[in-house]
Amino acid sequence: MSSKADCIFKALNIVSWIIFVGVCIEAGGFIFNTFFTLLLNPVGAIRFWTEVNLSELYYYNQRDYVTVTSLMIIVAVMRALMFYFIVKIFHEKKLNLSQPFNETVRRFILRIAYLGLGIGLFSFWGAKYSEGLVNKGVKIPDLQYLRLGGADVWLFMGITLLIIAQIFKKGIELQNENDLTV
Amino acid sequence: MSIIVNLDVMMAKRKMSLNELSEKVDLTLSNLSILKTGKAKAIRFTTLEVICKVLNCQPGDILEYREIEK
Repeated sequence: MSSKADCIFKALNIVSWIIFVGVCIEAGGFIFNTFFTLLLNPVGAIRFWTEVNLSELYYYNQRDYVTVTSLMIIVAVMRALMFYFIVKIFHEKKLNLSQPFNETVRRFILRIAYLGLGIGLFSFWGAKYSEGLVNKGVKIPDLQYLRLGGADVWLFMGITLLIIAQIFKKGIELQNENDLTV
Repeated sequence: MSIIVNLDVMMAKRKMSLNELSEKVDLTLSNLSILKTGKAKAIRFTTLEVICKVLNCQPGDILEYREIEK
């Protein structure tokens, strides 16, 4: 591996770790605050997360509150899982630039693609659900603050990665053929 | 695959070991082993040429087509 590529990989590894820690804290915070509000103290809904006040939703209907927070948790956990896989592939040093087309990388791309699609679908569901609640007159924070925004981007990313995984499949076949050419 | 590699037969006829052939044709042992065991997907003309030269044979002596009955 060239020193430039090595440097880029190191930088990406550090950035991935920072994002991974961030999304883990976020997912943990969502889970903790949801259960804290439901089981211990409803005041937790006021300062659910930074700039997220879900008190009105909580007092409007607890079932809606659970649905919205569950969708937020699912999306946050999937994001954390995605960055876990990214950190893992850097940690295990499976990215071999001299032989880039291998089954491990293809499986990694497929996982990220499915997670991207999952995040997109749940974000879309959350966005539509919040829209329905707003139409009923419930005041809830912006989708960006609920971390449910950008569903279309996630879906686009997922589909693009699925296509790349298919191209990778052909790449693996070609590389194997090349390796077995004497 | 229907293409059979008879490299081992030719090597036995010429009384040549895999190590010796590897040195003479300038191919790695692993690559020659892939060829000998029939795992190879393709063979370059240059490789075939040098093997034929060293073993003093024709490409047909090394490669053979045999239909596989299903």
